Amino acid sequence: MTSITDIDAVAIPKRKAGPKGETVISVSGLTPGAARYSRMFDFLVVAAVVPLFAGAFHLHVMLTVGDWDMYVDWKDRQYWPLVTPISMIMFPAALQAIFWVNFRLPIGATVGATVLLITTWLGRYANWWIWTGFPFTEGVPSQVIAGALLMDMALIVLRNSLFTSIFAGFAFGFVFWPSNYSALAPFYLPVEHQGMVASLADMIGYTFPRSNMPEYLRIIERGTLRTFGSSVSWVSAAFAGFICIFMHQLWWQLGRFASQTTFLKNGDVVKSFMGMKSRPAS
Amino acid sequence: MRTRTVQFYDVHFSKTDVKVNERFELTGKFRLMEDWPDAVTPPDIVFVSSVSPGPTIARVETYLNGEPARQSFAKLELGRDYDFRMVLEGRTSGSSHIHPSISIKGSGPLVGPGQWINISGDAHSFAFPIKTMTGLQIDDLQTFGLTNAIGWHVAWLAVAAAWLLFWLVRPLFLPRWLVLQKGREDLLVSLRDTGVGIIVAAIVLVMVFGGYVRANQEYPYNVPLQSGLNKVAPRPASPADAEVKVISATYDVPGRSMRLATRITNKGSEPLSIGELTTANIRFLNQGLPAAIANVDPTYPRDLVARTGLELSSDTPINPGETREVLVEATDAVWELERLVSFLTDVDSKFGGLLLLYTPNGKRVIAEMGGPIVPVFTELK
Repeated sequence: MTSITDIDAVAIPKRKAGPKGETVISVSGLTPGAARYSRMFDFLVVAAVVPLFAGAFHLHVMLTVGDWDMYVDWKDRQYWPLVTPISMIMFPAALQAIFWVNFRLPIGATVGATVLLITTWLGRYANWWIWTGFPFTEGVPSQVIAGALLMDMALIVLRNSLFTSIFAGFAFGFVFWPSNYSALAPFYLPVEHQGMVASLADMIGYTFPRSNMPEYLRIIERGTLRTFGSSVSWVSAAFAGFICIFMHQLWWQLGRFASQTTFLKNGDVVKSFMGMKSRPAS
Repeated sequence: MRTRTVQFYDVHFSKTDVKVNERFELTGKFRLMEDWPDAVTPPDIVFVSSVSPGPTIARVETYLNGEPARQSFAKLELGRDYDFRMVLEGRTSGSSHIHPSISIKGSGPLVGPGQWINISGDAHSFAFPIKTMTGLQIDDLQTFGLTNAIGWHVAWLAVAAAWLLFWLVRPLFLPRWLVLQKGREDLLVSLRDTGVGIIVAAIVLVMVFGGYVRANQEYPYNVPLQSGLNKVAPRPASPADAEVKVISATYDVPGRSMRLATRITNKGSEPLSIGELTTANIRFLNQGLPAAIANVDPTYPRDLVARTGLELSSDTPINPGETREVLVEATDAVWELERLVSFLTDVDSKFGGLLLLYTPNGKRVIAEMGGPIVPVFTELK
């Protein structure tokens, strides 16, 4: 007869039991058959949830961040590091709450950021390259995996949503600029074009025309943060971090609320309609 | 609406058949109409561009009145003319319909006449080399920097995948939920897990700030995205040698005919003949005037030149100082095909256009005209 330990050995092949010989499976009280089905259930959930999260998060980013994430010549020092993390923290924060509150899994933010980046690249390949023929350089996306990992790490250390919002919410917004700059730095090399200075990103956007996107439509830095010299991006990063504190807590609470399981008590009218109770005599 | 905003003229495509990587020029002029509609935002911020079905062409250089037009322009003047020049390059093989366009902030793009450009060759052979101000020679703007960007994204995905796998190999949803309900959180997240989390956080921070420092060392002379508005003066105003006043205007709906009663005054020193009525890219020519015919560029799209031409009540030249009333009739289905009869349903039923007159020597005089127009719904010619 298969013992609980055997089942655990299959589910967690290299994981040692706790000091008292307890494991997650043994403490959960699942029978060997149930444990097997629970693992199958895990795979089914992952298979269903990953495309769902990916599609929903990608759509959310397309609608709320839009051109800042789509085009390399929208990735400026002022608005891009501000708008993008503020919007992109929403789903990771909600997923973090769902995974942590219900399962104590500190992976929600990383799941959100990872599926977003994969889906975005798929979208760039299918929509921008195959369908419309724009070069990949014009549509290099942003990534928030660095910030999401920090959020999950903070959660596992702090184990408190409020402190996670304060420290990791801020970190999510703040590291967006430096963590993306490493990937995008070559696109800010200067070139001379028609007697004027331009960055390579400007040149890419200019050279491969988007007919319905004239230059003035770009919502990019216009020099109004000049007071801060060339530190514009850090000012934006700090402000993004500040706003992300509140966004994280708001979306954590939304995620927690949305993942609750509640039951509504049926009234007499519903019960009688469903045949669960005889109709009261009139 | 389009008859009262931007009037393109002298539009010329240097080539209509090009190879991939071969350059061609699109040149022309436009007049910003004095009687600008209230419903359209004035041209306070303007971008000169081309309209194409995606990036089938590459944009090499653009100019407005000789000034570089990579960025937008501030405050163009109504009633004045501007000339544009675009250097374009074939990128994707096939036929592409290319237009010049003037995009106005708040209004959108106002397109000029389009022409089919046939691009032949292998699209994969297209490359756009460029040299940076730091001396770096880039072979192709389409691919430069991509390896670095993808490399970083793959690196981040690898760290994320490692962290996810660290947790996903364990029993997940149902057992963990049951254990959590029993208050045994200690089994779900151990001190060892926390330690691993701290190590991953340290790796992330090293990647973030180490990568940032390295990028700054590798690219020390980077510049931010360039913005700001350019200024450009309009073309010098030509002497108003002709003044055209529209006395009355009707549009015969079933006959698709615009009839204008005009009062034309020759203020110049030479006789003037009416050669052309142009509005919203369509052209009605006085086919009896060779100078007007000669003014049609061979590359101008034929579907925008009305076959029936312009009918005039008086075809003799208007002498210097003379004022003459002339009935001008422009009849063609192109009014409907180009959707130019919106004045039938507009709140302000007005029209506009340019009347082109010629001296005996072929010198062209451009006069702006326009005013209210009355639709005639039942009259058949």
